[in-house]
Amino acid sequence: MNFEINSRTVDDRTAVVAPVGEVDLHTAPEIKRRIAELSDQGYTQIVVDLSRINYLDSTGLGVLVGALKRLREKDGELRLVHPTPRVMRVLEITRLVNVFQIFDSEEAALSSLTGRGA
Amino acid sequence: MNTATAGKVELRIPARPEFLEVARLTVAAIGHKMGFDVDAIEDIKVCVGEACNNAIQHASECDAGGEIQIVCSLELNQLVLEVQDAGPGFDPDLCIEQVDLDTVAAEELPDSGYGLLLIKALMDEFHCLSQPGAGTLVRMVKRSRPA
Repeated sequence: MNFEINSRTVDDRTAVVAPVGEVDLHTAPEIKRRIAELSDQGYTQIVVDLSRINYLDSTGLGVLVGALKRLREKDGELRLVHPTPRVMRVLEITRLVNVFQIFDSEEAALSSLTGRGA
Repeated sequence: MNTATAGKVELRIPARPEFLEVARLTVAAIGHKMGFDVDAIEDIKVCVGEACNNAIQHASECDAGGEIQIVCSLELNQLVLEVQDAGPGFDPDLCIEQVDLDTVAAEELPDSGYGLLLIKALMDEFHCLSQPGAGTLVRMVKRSRPA
């Protein structure tokens, strides 16, 4: 399976994580690890770009929910950007669409974060 | 859907995460052959993936390893999918539906349990037979829709 995670830091608290491919029981732990690593380094405001995820299963949802909870414990936040229609459908069925803050663009997500407003 | 596609396909995969893609690709090909639209094929992929997730996770809990058997019955107006494992079994009633997802605070959301919710939403029928020591059989039906 072709799967990779790109990530970059934006400032001393903020990072963007952009997985590419299919997120399932096999690959979701990689996202969990990447977010945990960033969080441990002090990047507690994480934007996850879902624009190149064409499949996301319940383990992927669990990783996102877990990340949201753990970042908030550190006064951080998690934002989702541009989920594909298939991912959006999964978020809607599970009603997690009401839990996550979802944005159409990375710029909008970054602007919504503490200390990064326009 | 036509009678020319009637038949049965059986697949056995190791109960390991790296083989999930094989199961998804197989059922996607079957769905395509039966004439399901792309959204329905995606539903089938998600649900077989989730049923296999459960099998793999419970297999690892009891260190059973082993295999997952996926039986796809191609019928006149529906695809019947049976996912069987030899794991320790689980209680399908202990599903996330017991949590009110519309009102629960984000901090109290469970990290797992969304799979059965997806299966119930995306399939036309869902049954789960599970007994301690006898494994679990998940039976799902996806019906064709008139074009």
